[in-house]
Amino acid sequence: MVKMLVPYPENCTGCRFCEMACTIYHDGKINHADARLQVHRRGVKVDFPSVCTHCVSCGEDCCILHCPVEAIKKKDGKVYVDQEECTACGECVEVCPFGVMRMEEKAFNCDLCGGSPTCVKFCPMKAIVYEEPKPEQYEKVKKLLAVEE
Amino acid sequence: MKMKGYTGKILKVDLTTEKSHARPFDERHARKYLGGQGFAVEIVYHGVPKGADPLGPQNVLAMAGGVFDGFPVGTGGKVAFAAKSPATNTLAESIMGGSIGPELKHAGYDALEIVGKADSPSYLYIEDERVEVNDAADLWGKDTRQVPEMLKKRHGWDVKVACIGVAGEKLSRIASIDCDDRQAGRAGLGAVMGSKNLKAIVIRGTNDLVPAEPKKLLGIAFRYQKIYEASPSFIEDTKYGTGEFLGWVNKEKGVFPTRNFQESVFAEREKIDPYYWAPKYVTKNKACFACTKPCGKLFEVKSGKFAGVAIDGIEYETLYSLGGACGNSDVESVARANELCDLLGMDTISAGVTIGFAMELMQRGIITEKDVGFKLTWDNSSDAVPRMVEMMGNRRGFGDVLADGVKVAAKKIGKGAERYAVHTKGLEPPAYDVRGMKGHALAYMTSTRGACHLRAGFYAPELVGKFWKWEGIDRFSTANKGFMVSQTENFMCVYDSVGLCKFSRGFYLIAKLPEVIEAITGLTFTEDELLKIGERIHNMKGAFNAREGVTRKDWLLPPRILEDPIPDGPSKGHKISVEEMNTMLDDYMKARGWTMDGVPTPEKLKELDID
Repeated sequence: MVKMLVPYPENCTGCRFCEMACTIYHDGKINHADARLQVHRRGVKVDFPSVCTHCVSCGEDCCILHCPVEAIKKKDGKVYVDQEECTACGECVEVCPFGVMRMEEKAFNCDLCGGSPTCVKFCPMKAIVYEEPKPEQYEKVKKLLAVEE
Repeated sequence: MKMKGYTGKILKVDLTTEKSHARPFDERHARKYLGGQGFAVEIVYHGVPKGADPLGPQNVLAMAGGVFDGFPVGTGGKVAFAAKSPATNTLAESIMGGSIGPELKHAGYDALEIVGKADSPSYLYIEDERVEVNDAADLWGKDTRQVPEMLKKRHGWDVKVACIGVAGEKLSRIASIDCDDRQAGRAGLGAVMGSKNLKAIVIRGTNDLVPAEPKKLLGIAFRYQKIYEASPSFIEDTKYGTGEFLGWVNKEKGVFPTRNFQESVFAEREKIDPYYWAPKYVTKNKACFACTKPCGKLFEVKSGKFAGVAIDGIEYETLYSLGGACGNSDVESVARANELCDLLGMDTISAGVTIGFAMELMQRGIITEKDVGFKLTWDNSSDAVPRMVEMMGNRRGFGDVLADGVKVAAKKIGKGAERYAVHTKGLEPPAYDVRGMKGHALAYMTSTRGACHLRAGFYAPELVGKFWKWEGIDRFSTANKGFMVSQTENFMCVYDSVGLCKFSRGFYLIAKLPEVIEAITGLTFTEDELLKIGERIHNMKGAFNAREGVTRKDWLLPPRILEDPIPDGPSKGHKISVEEMNTMLDDYMKARGWTMDGVPTPEKLKELDID
């Protein structure tokens, strides 16, 4: 079974270390807007991570379906953006139900760090776990995202 | 080599003229003051004219993120505020964990200097180079949760907000600054914001932060993460928060100040000890920005008269101040009072100690039920404490008398009330009965911002018996304490300048910091060089205070500590005698190279390159 990032909102403390670890690992610098995942901190009661589910739980709002030039593909269970074909139109960023498709010169997303996700290593509270996908956890995050801030 | 990690700029905003400009700083500045507290202290030291009214437009409010702010260093996201304190008339800094420091760096500034006074309620909006002073008429009167909510609706959910509550607007000398349900609580810096008509600071930063050696930094971060996770304090902190050692301080050491320092063992402590309440009330862990060793707890009351209370707490200090110090063993009441302090923007330590002080005055008949309007008594504490917090924050009725802390309240009340006011330099003490901790008593005196447990952090060495380079420390002895306190003060100045949480000091002694600083900035430091920076920062604060006329005569311990021995428990019979106080102060001045009056000498300032 392919492993994925699984979010556990109830464990998240809102520290945002995962975002920093993500961008420094991938880009050698820190910019939270480029992190391939996102921590939401809402008032005192709610903190939760939103991660790329690699098509496990996106339903109709799938970036692959919405890409007008079919630049977003799936290989070995992982969604990736073909940098040659991407036109940077931003459609995928708009549609991503988890808000974690990113755009610099071209679109990009979580690559699971080649099978050893950095964000998971830095989450001692187990708010993000690398394991068999759990659709019910993704649904929890979707529900939280649906509540307007 | 160009220094990395730093943005290299300090943003100055004049609220009177609504003009701002960013001034660059060079490597020399970074090497001299490091960042965080160092930068903030430098700004206030050079920016506030002699004799300036702390609540006047001449005061300067500085804010600076530490060197580690914005970078992946576990617990390294602290931000320092500093100004001339309205509580103590000294240069006071207050440190908090909140996302505003890292965000300031992403906006392109290592520090922020706010001067002048807006002519009407305003908030400061910073988005990279865009700096605006905006109207805050609709925010005035709102609490510290409503304000960020309203501002995020206006500017987007990703902006970071630091703000004051009503207490800061009403210039309470114990008012705090809030960010992310965390507070820069001490020394009344919230009132400095209020005096400038500044309700909030809103920041959005979109710039990259680039460390000198990203891979190395990530490796260091991971190494420390493993060390954190394997430590007993990680397990205790994540389960119980900072109150995890309350039972030990109370029962084993007998230095948990109770009923305004009349006792030092709280007999009902089990009711406020997180070992007992955490399983019932804690619904989630909370952390400051960048903290992977979380001590924050979401404390929720689901039923009863305090139903609906939800706070990040209750911290050890608050369990003392709004709990034990007020004889309040109802943990739900403590939580509610804590929530009110947070919402109104008041320091929980100062608020609680001030209420406990007033309760003792009622016990002694110096004030009566008629003065207050209700029974401000030990046996009515569950109701009385939250009620009085609300009155203080809003300056209503007797709350107005107490709203500026014990020193001002004692003066207003008169009738010998001063005898029961526990403070040094005008700041209420934190949760350690220093009669049983001689070095910590000295630290309450030497702390540049008044009674504080974190300027030297000397409670830990004395309670545990060892720290850093010392072992076998005897808390009842005065020997060598002057030297040790001066050293730990320098240590802490470094800590607040790199932006690390002091709960990490057992993991990162100063000798461990250079490799982290180098990975971020590319600058190399030795342990001695860092401690020299710490010494410089402390001396600047000392020199500022001496200039304002705050010298040794103003540092002394209050009568309760000098005259009333601890009545019972493991520290029974102990107090600090005048002789012990003077011996320790003399030793301290010698260790500092200051005059016996507590004034840094010109030679010392020259040695440290302070102008």
